Amino acid sequence: MDPNQKRAKAVDRVDSVDTGAASSESTRMCPFPDEVLERVLSLIGSHKDRSSVSLVCKDWYNAERWSRRHVFIGNCYSVSPEIVAARFPRIRSVTLKGKPRFSDFNLVPEDWGADVHPWLSVFSTAYPFLEELRLKRMAVSDESLEFLATNFQGFKALSLLSCDGFSTDGLKAIATNCKNLTELDVQENGIDDLGGHWLSCFPESLSSLEILNFASLNSEAPQLMELGTGTFMQELVSGPVTELKNTFSNCKHLVTLSGLWDATPLYLPVIYPACARLTFLNLSYATLRSIELANLLTHSKSLRRLWLLDTVGDKGLEAVGSCCPLLEELRVFPADPFDQEIFLGVTESGFVSVSRGCPKLRYVLYFCRQMTNAAVATIAQNCPDFTHFRLCIMNPGQPDYLTKEPMDEAFGAIVKTCTKLQRLAVSGLLTDRTFEYIGKYAKNLETLSVAFAGSSDLGMEYVLGGCPKLRKLEIRDCPFGNAALLSGLTKYESMRSLWMSACNVTMNGCRELAKEKPRLNVEVMKDEGSDDSQAHKVYVYRTVAGPRRDAPPFVLTL
Amino acid sequence: MELELSLSPPYQKTPSIINKSFHGGDDDRCSSTVTRFPRVSWNQDEDDDNNKRFFNGEYQQDMDGDGEGLIGWPPLHSWRKRFMEENHSGGEGFNGRVDEEGENINVMNNNYNELLFVKVKMDGVGIARKIDLNAIHSYQMLTSTLIHMFHKYVENDEDGASYKLMYQHKDGHWLLAGDIPWEMFIQTVQRIQMVRK
Repeated sequence: MDPNQKRAKAVDRVDSVDTGAASSESTRMCPFPDEVLERVLSLIGSHKDRSSVSLVCKDWYNAERWSRRHVFIGNCYSVSPEIVAARFPRIRSVTLKGKPRFSDFNLVPEDWGADVHPWLSVFSTAYPFLEELRLKRMAVSDESLEFLATNFQGFKALSLLSCDGFSTDGLKAIATNCKNLTELDVQENGIDDLGGHWLSCFPESLSSLEILNFASLNSEAPQLMELGTGTFMQELVSGPVTELKNTFSNCKHLVTLSGLWDATPLYLPVIYPACARLTFLNLSYATLRSIELANLLTHSKSLRRLWLLDTVGDKGLEAVGSCCPLLEELRVFPADPFDQEIFLGVTESGFVSVSRGCPKLRYVLYFCRQMTNAAVATIAQNCPDFTHFRLCIMNPGQPDYLTKEPMDEAFGAIVKTCTKLQRLAVSGLLTDRTFEYIGKYAKNLETLSVAFAGSSDLGMEYVLGGCPKLRKLEIRDCPFGNAALLSGLTKYESMRSLWMSACNVTMNGCRELAKEKPRLNVEVMKDEGSDDSQAHKVYVYRTVAGPRRDAPPFVLTL
Repeated sequence: MELELSLSPPYQKTPSIINKSFHGGDDDRCSSTVTRFPRVSWNQDEDDDNNKRFFNGEYQQDMDGDGEGLIGWPPLHSWRKRFMEENHSGGEGFNGRVDEEGENINVMNNNYNELLFVKVKMDGVGIARKIDLNAIHSYQMLTSTLIHMFHKYVENDEDGASYKLMYQHKDGHWLLAGDIPWEMFIQTVQRIQMVRK
């Protein structure tokens, strides 16, 4: 049910009960004075809880909106900046997400949208005291960064994740103008590295910086001596490891270590002294072998999160299983995703080893070239607490390599055993049965990613008919058509978004969805040279802001 | 890292030569060609009589303009992909060789054995591959390695019997591989082609 509709109803209901003036003390439903209620509500952080609070009655709605300091906007087109500013007058911190996730994989053309500037314009008048801005998959220009740096005097924390459109010039503007900066987090962005030593633009007197992370850049060899000494350094991303030798021996407080893309085996021991208290180690840019990893891990027994390249092989993962009993998150990326070299990477055996030694695992992202149903069933038994299970068997449609069966039972085992599962990405050869399992058992599932899977419309129908908490569904290259799309008519307004690309959906199917559900934006991205009746890329999302006014020519809103 | 596309694969309209650039811009070249064709069998082992079609669905496929195959697959952040190419292009970083225990040997700096990369092309396949001949010790191993590398394109034929192996001698002419001892072969081979009989 559309929460906006529900909220409107709640307000109406209260109005009809109130006999006198809206805020008359004698007829108010709520016994607390405004100030007390606001004070109490200001202690509530979770935006989901706040949404619930705002639905109780008109007084609570008002108290909530005045006490809210942070707003989370999961889809920038679901609402407009004007609406946000009108409802929440006292925001200090904004999280804003833009493009569909598949844009990370080049499935969304450039100039699709999600420009942050209109938001900054509104915020500059509505929230001049804005302190924090966290952007994900937004289009951010240097002009916008400069605007941000010069229009918000108390600005403290900027996080840019998977954004694009800016260069180091924009970062220079931030470094130069934000006198109170405590956090600058710039990761995985499509950034133009124009060099220019933007790091040196931080004023000498800047003592407030606590978090500095710029994993997007190659050119800047960080002058970490100046930045690191004396300050609690949460995360650092390194260039040549040799430069950091002294820094590491001083880094007794280091809890996060990232990068090391020049880490040849000779230099790894340099970081051993810093490893004892490490809880997060990101080695996904370092082509380590199993033996090097094993040596490193014997120094890092406190690890909770570990990112690796599959060059470490199954042997390396055995070391993970033996050394990291507290491990909660593991991500294994492929060093050679396009099979250019002869490369084994990791197999089901490595995954099983980790699951045996790390029963607290809850988040896994695993790229591999072979998998079996039996292995995944074992893994599920060993690690029943999975909240995020993302398995990528890199050959599309590949079956269990031993039995040649589809991988249905693997994911069946996961959803049946791991009742806390919130996020699932499936791969391999999958029939509709996988989706039957998911729809039936995955009661807490919020995000599902599907590629090259399913046999018929039924697959998608199972998911849309089950999964009560589903919020994001992203599908590519599956044989799901209009019947499947339309089976979710009653569900889409309770979800953030649906993405379908290279499926069997037609323009007519999309038009029908748009007609039936006016509160959804049904957008189709047109492709050059493709059949006009096919809807090649479909993006559906709920919104209170109506159709996009900034849509480029290749985006059709139906 | 270069990708040379000299033969159009059956599903693509025009050949193109692509250079990867760090700053993206690949999007212009990524014309997704929509073609409908049935899923091929992945069954590569002895059980060829069955040649089961596991996958019933026919669906469109997004083909990457630069011949890598599917756009956006595997689902790696484009930034990470670009980074790996920039910093660990084949031959310089690691070469993916495997030792006796099946462990990957990664050449971190070039103090390890010489790398001997030659290009390999298969008839009908637009994408050239590279192979390190110093990691291979016999013609037998070469053939089975190539089958493994090109297994996506080889149907009903796990031992390469329907292909013959030609190599370009450093003199420029093409010869049938297998006539000279392996050690001599690797001294003179410039590139390799798998030719359909």
